[in-house]
Amino acid sequence: MRWIRPLSAQVDEAAELLGGKAHGLVVLHRLGLRVPAGFVVTTEACRAFLRDGRLPDGLGDELATAVTDLEASTGRRFGGSRAPLAVSVRSGAGVSMPGMMNTILNLGLTTAATAGLAAETGDPRFALDSRLRLLSGFAAAITNLDADGVGAVLGGAPGRGTGDEEADLTGAIGAVEDLIRRRRGRPIPDDAARQLELAVRTVLSSWDTPRARTYRDLHDVPHDLGTAAIVQTMVFGNRDDRSGTGVAFSRDPNTGGNVPFGEVMFGRQGEDVVSGRALTRPLRELADREPAVWTGLLDALSRIEGHYRDACYVEFTFQSGELWILQVRPGRFVGGAAVRVAADLADERVIGRREALLRVSAGHLRHVRTPRMATTERTDILARGLGACPGVAAGRVATTADGAVRMAADGPVILVRPETSPHDLRGLAAAAGIVTARGGPASHAAVVARSMAKPAVVGVTGLTVDVAGGSVGAGGRTIGEGTLVTIDGTSGEVALGSPRTVTTTAAAHLHRLLGWADDVSGDHSERDEVQRLSAAHAVLRHG
Amino acid sequence: MTRPEPPATGTDLLVLHALRCGGHAGPARVAAATGLGESDAESELIDLAVAGLVTHSGGGFGGWGLTDAGRAAAAERITGELESAGARVALRAAFDGFLVLNPELLDLCAAWQLRSVDGVMTANDHGDPSYDARVLARFAEFDQRAAVVCAELSAALPRFGRYRARLAEARQRAASGALEYVTDSTASYHTVWAELHEDLLATLGIPR
Repeated sequence: MRWIRPLSAQVDEAAELLGGKAHGLVVLHRLGLRVPAGFVVTTEACRAFLRDGRLPDGLGDELATAVTDLEASTGRRFGGSRAPLAVSVRSGAGVSMPGMMNTILNLGLTTAATAGLAAETGDPRFALDSRLRLLSGFAAAITNLDADGVGAVLGGAPGRGTGDEEADLTGAIGAVEDLIRRRRGRPIPDDAARQLELAVRTVLSSWDTPRARTYRDLHDVPHDLGTAAIVQTMVFGNRDDRSGTGVAFSRDPNTGGNVPFGEVMFGRQGEDVVSGRALTRPLRELADREPAVWTGLLDALSRIEGHYRDACYVEFTFQSGELWILQVRPGRFVGGAAVRVAADLADERVIGRREALLRVSAGHLRHVRTPRMATTERTDILARGLGACPGVAAGRVATTADGAVRMAADGPVILVRPETSPHDLRGLAAAAGIVTARGGPASHAAVVARSMAKPAVVGVTGLTVDVAGGSVGAGGRTIGEGTLVTIDGTSGEVALGSPRTVTTTAAAHLHRLLGWADDVSGDHSERDEVQRLSAAHAVLRHG
Repeated sequence: MTRPEPPATGTDLLVLHALRCGGHAGPARVAAATGLGESDAESELIDLAVAGLVTHSGGGFGGWGLTDAGRAAAAERITGELESAGARVALRAAFDGFLVLNPELLDLCAAWQLRSVDGVMTANDHGDPSYDARVLARFAEFDQRAAVVCAELSAALPRFGRYRARLAEARQRAASGALEYVTDSTASYHTVWAELHEDLLATLGIPR
């Protein structure tokens, strides 16, 4: 085939053609790990599409052939009313552009296939939920909105909150269909093959959205690379109570410590973890609930580390107790965690000392000294979100801007809000630190926190703020306004009380690594850390 | 068919609504938000306080803010204005355009504050003029598209024209070297944009 490659151990082409995500999936195949069957539309097809404004000749036939192969290997029918095959279509460029391009899940769930899936599983709610996710993915792409934007456009869509889950889902599906018809002029085709072509076109087009162009301009990524589109059999983390989804690092990205770290959700689909729409549990809970999945995951992480000779990150789903790996990349740890992993890997003789030195940049050293919360087994972590502005702040919880201003007179305050608006500005100004339930690293709260240089944690899933009752809920617990908490704007942790703060979690590793740096440069004089590392880098790169 | 242009919003409502969208503020910020002179804004605030709609609090983070009655009055009158101008459909359509731009603006603000150095996200110390110039160039391009949406908004309701002026001023000040006008000051592009977002939600009656 000219425009399509199967995802298999035999593919031997570069990430420039396959995209980084598909290239990682090929690595997983080579390592003998379980990856949902699929294929990739290459970046070359994307370049032709962007140049000519239409899918290249022959791609349509190749898609049909590739789908037939998928049907054969899975024993399911694409768009079929019995044992329907559903696929995901995901973007994946040669260069990572996180969150900038489109993904369409549950593709092929036409009305007939949705009914088929409902009959097969005996779970109409699951089938309708999956179809709603498909349509929402298309709606987001067509309107150029993110998921929150689609929600806002739908506003108070009819058919919500009737108490009947199936009726609610049907109502929501109707509302999204209306939105698509309004914006696109016609509905999403109720034919699986035509849906696939549309999804591939949508994903390839998303290379050129204004957000993606801005991202490339600011990160020196050329505009002519194009993205690949990965088509894979769906595995459903929302299939039953022995299913779920999660993300895992082979080592702790906060400290670099050699223990797996991550989050898992039972009975959910993958985008829920990444979007922070639902409650996650610590990865370790897998060990008790699904021991075989846990063992399989540990084995996968160890094999993948062996391949990259570095800490790694995976996204995984398990369906009815069976583990599948959906994505892999090197861990890309920063600051003290990067120092610790490099030194540990050298000590483990996985890499040499020289390579360890080259893996740590001056930028990492500058971050080694960012104050961090020293967590121990006794640390009571109330909730976790995304670190949006580094630093540690401790203070008493306030749930409104007014409360924060009032309480700040008596000592430091942590302002905890569902999200922030201009109304919260004076509360943000009065607070020592900020926590929000919603939003990502570019949310209003995050932008304002950084402009004021205040530690901030955003996107804390499952965090509820009861303004009337003056309390905050997370992880099944409720704490009142005035409770002392500590937040770490690097790791995104929110802890009860005031755990110790440290300026580096990797002092011993840093000391050892800089000793190696002095050995390489031959200069053991008294200098600052960045100079010691840079002298070693100069010898290693030019000497 | 052309509809007659909706009448200009009364200054008392402008001031009331500025506090609704911008939160607590002093007369200078109210003046900037409404386009009134500072003493006119202050006089309006005092009248509203007499009517029980706004109140002044002291202290470091104090200022003028709405009372519960003021919040209710602001909501009722701003909805009344929208409906009597028959502007809901046009404003709603322009809001959809705003929602497309919103994540882009937030991306740009994040890129202004953070940049990747050696693969590590680092606070932008603004020591690299070429990086800053690149972000500001993207802002300039973004601002042209924002102007289109702002024009649709002020065609629907003239009071939205004030945002165009404030955004343009923030961008020009930033471009001429006052970097705090991107994300940091109370008159920054990001602050004005966030107030516009709040205004659209308040005017259309959309909960957050």
